[in-house]
Amino acid sequence: MPAANPAGDPALGLGVGLRNVHFEHILRNWPAVDWFEAISENFIDSGGRPRMVLRRIAERYPIVLHGVSLSIGSTDPLNVRYLRRLKRLADEIGARWVSDHLCWTGVLGLNSHDLLPLPLNEAVLEHVAARVRQVQDILERPLVLENPSTYVRFRASTWDEPAFLRALCEATNCRLLLDVNNVYVSCFNAGSDPLAYLDAFPFERVVQLHLAGHQHCGTHIVDTHDRAVSAQVWELFRIAWQRTSGASTLLEWDGNVPPFQTLHNEVLHARAVIGGASKDSLATVAAVDAEAINSAREAASTPIDFLLPAVMSQRTWSPA
Amino acid sequence: MSAALHDLQRWMHQALITPDAVDPAIANALLPGHRLIASECLAIYQRSYILRLRMCLGEQFPATRHALGAPLFAAFADEYLRACPPSSHSLYDLGERFPTWLTETRPDREAPEREDWIDFMVDLAHYERELFRLFDAPGFEDGPWPTTSSDDRTLVLQPCLRLASYQFPVARYYQDVRADRSPAPPTGAPCHLVILRRNYETVTYPVSALHFRFLSTLQQTQNIEAALADIAQWSRRPLNDVTASWTADVRAAWIEAGFFARAQ
Repeated sequence: MPAANPAGDPALGLGVGLRNVHFEHILRNWPAVDWFEAISENFIDSGGRPRMVLRRIAERYPIVLHGVSLSIGSTDPLNVRYLRRLKRLADEIGARWVSDHLCWTGVLGLNSHDLLPLPLNEAVLEHVAARVRQVQDILERPLVLENPSTYVRFRASTWDEPAFLRALCEATNCRLLLDVNNVYVSCFNAGSDPLAYLDAFPFERVVQLHLAGHQHCGTHIVDTHDRAVSAQVWELFRIAWQRTSGASTLLEWDGNVPPFQTLHNEVLHARAVIGGASKDSLATVAAVDAEAINSAREAASTPIDFLLPAVMSQRTWSPA
Repeated sequence: MSAALHDLQRWMHQALITPDAVDPAIANALLPGHRLIASECLAIYQRSYILRLRMCLGEQFPATRHALGAPLFAAFADEYLRACPPSSHSLYDLGERFPTWLTETRPDREAPEREDWIDFMVDLAHYERELFRLFDAPGFEDGPWPTTSSDDRTLVLQPCLRLASYQFPVARYYQDVRADRSPAPPTGAPCHLVILRRNYETVTYPVSALHFRFLSTLQQTQNIEAALADIAQWSRRPLNDVTASWTADVRAAWIEAGFFARAQ
């Protein structure tokens, strides 16, 4: 892996998302993973075991914080208390960077716990850029923003997403997390070309890539994070990885979370992809044909129940 | 701030919470997808919203979900989420108002007599919320912890400890669900519990009414001597007897169990 990407940030290699169900495995086995991405909201308010575990893991692995509640595009005021606690956590564990999504999660004081899309136009750019600057001032580091998966298109949009993100980076010097699965999902749902999306993307700003699985429902694709990465997404990843000169890569798997080794093996498959496996061979390599149209009931997009600890398994009753 | 953006966000968020009463303005703001019309595109968000939050609420109340059965729990969850949509950045807070909401909306709230099974559900939900909260609350893992040789004047209840009373044996029921024993709803039997976290493990201890009063007084006064005096007066027993019982019967066990912190 190269030492750094064009944005000048260190390339961390191949990592996996840190999930509660894998805590014990990691603490017992210290697996040979390059790095972990921790969901910020799981830890910023934690006074219990999750934060203790994160501190221990951070002693041995590089950690990146990835948020889901920053709500950078909301018209509600930024939650400064949240940001200060996020900074404290990032400092405490030496987070390599802090990321979230180009989205809004709520308005009028409410939180949908979903990554909701924004119309992309000049006024929204101005709005988001001002908030990114405010966030960066509080965090005292560049913010890294991810392209979300989307299911709707707005009449009010006048820019495409790559152009919007490029302008946002130029206005704020923020960095980007390119989720290649989200590119595939959003482009399919909008009827646009994912390769054209990549051609327009400002790769010089990318510090990280995301991989994940999705559910193909025939008429649309849902970003479910609950299965292996599809062959088509691996191909997009190969292109994106080359264009970033080897950005840090992370696999997200949030629903039907498999044993840790399965998760790790899936992200290690990136090595074969990076090594130049052809598109045809990739399609063969993909043991799970994730592109098969799945007639099963539509799963929830971007599941979030993995954020919750299995409290029931960690308490006892002493009838004595 | 863009007024147009604010309006769009307000419409779209409302469309998630009340999908059966979507403001036509939101539909007009959307373009059709590649293979779906605009309302079908929006419906993907609407379905996911309730699915994921319902699932999360169930994760926070597994015993209550077991007691109600999954379909009825889902119906309660949907009503709760509609009445109390989440506001916190943390999903850990999702179920914060659920036990109180159950109390306030219980179907027999205006009936002359309360139904036992509803009392049990409310109790169980309160107990589960307490467990969930203590799991990640600011703890006392770093001490300092007392030993059995510590002076009584240095003993205070540790901060990650809660005292709770219920009309039903919720802790046993919860434990049976955890052990996959498919317990039937219990009959009423008042109980007093100490719920605490030590070494990142949450433990529930049933205690007698007398012990519960002692601990409640101690929680208010953080003074063993005052709590013993209160028990002597309340039980009409000589203070010496009460003190001897404290020293001989419970003190060491409670210190070992992590009831106390050592005051600095």
